[in-house]
Amino acid sequence: MRTRLASLALGFGLAITILAPLGTGPAAAAKATAKRVQVSGEVIDTWCYVTEIMYAQGTAHHQCAVWCAVGGIPVSVLGTDGKVYVVLKIEDEESAVATPRILKVQSHDVTVDGDLYVRDGVNYLIVTQVADDKGVVNMTHEEYGIQPFGK
Amino acid sequence: MKITTTMIAGLALLALTGFTTPPAQAAEEWGIDGEKISRFDAKVVDIACELTGDCPANCGGGKRHLGLLRDDGTLVLPAKNQDIFAGALADLLPNCGKKITADGLMITTKHMPLFALQFSRPEGGEWRRSNAFGKQWSKANGGQESGQWFKSDPRILSAIKEDGVYGIPGLKPPKDE
Repeated sequence: MRTRLASLALGFGLAITILAPLGTGPAAAAKATAKRVQVSGEVIDTWCYVTEIMYAQGTAHHQCAVWCAVGGIPVSVLGTDGKVYVVLKIEDEESAVATPRILKVQSHDVTVDGDLYVRDGVNYLIVTQVADDKGVVNMTHEEYGIQPFGK
Repeated sequence: MKITTTMIAGLALLALTGFTTPPAQAAEEWGIDGEKISRFDAKVVDIACELTGDCPANCGGGKRHLGLLRDDGTLVLPAKNQDIFAGALADLLPNCGKKITADGLMITTKHMPLFALQFSRPEGGEWRRSNAFGKQWSKANGGQESGQWFKSDPRILSAIKEDGVYGIPGLKPPKDE
């Protein structure tokens, strides 16, 4: 009896091992989990900064960052740890796409609390609280002028 | 086999009509470090929904950033379309929850991966150039040309008037800049 039960359990285990990938699929396996974080850094335009098609920080790039935010390009926080955190939501606002608040904080130095989801090489941030906003403090225009076209 | 004048003419016609050249909708390089032309099938998803399970109707109806979920489970972030200084949200939203073929540039840098959507094709549909932002902007702004949209957009003019080009009220560029 014990042998038969052991065989049954082994067979059941094998069936689960073989069938599980069919049932869940790779998409489900790739689901990310959230981690509570506090991120400090500068609000940046994700496209210009990541692609490095121009200098994309501070006062020099503020105007372009506003253009891109209005254009619906995702906005990020460039953390003091050097990582880029793509902002998906801010506090209880429904939208994080080209809102007045998103435009207002471009190039600002902020500290935010939120839920971090890391998925396929991208850090996604759901901001639950803007803990501090120092405004624009990264004075880069004297070295880089106004990116990309000048005044 | 005898090669006839008709056959030669037919081959020439095929060449002229693009039979031997890439299709007009093929993605092009933009000269960005780490770019790679990439065409793949994916489902259009609301990224926040995909990650958190908070899923408003119609992928947020334009209020949420959209992603491309590939068959292998990889979530791709489309950050750009073909309009200057604009993203791909307006191009993707009509296909929320549906499969498309995306054509563009996968850009992988030391910071993170991004995708620039140049063309898309809904399942069973036609190829479309990814320039929906410009079209919608033009329609919303009295039919103005969208080529330089960022220079006349009312939201941008208002923001720059309030905080200046540097983002600091009262700080202005020198006259010769």
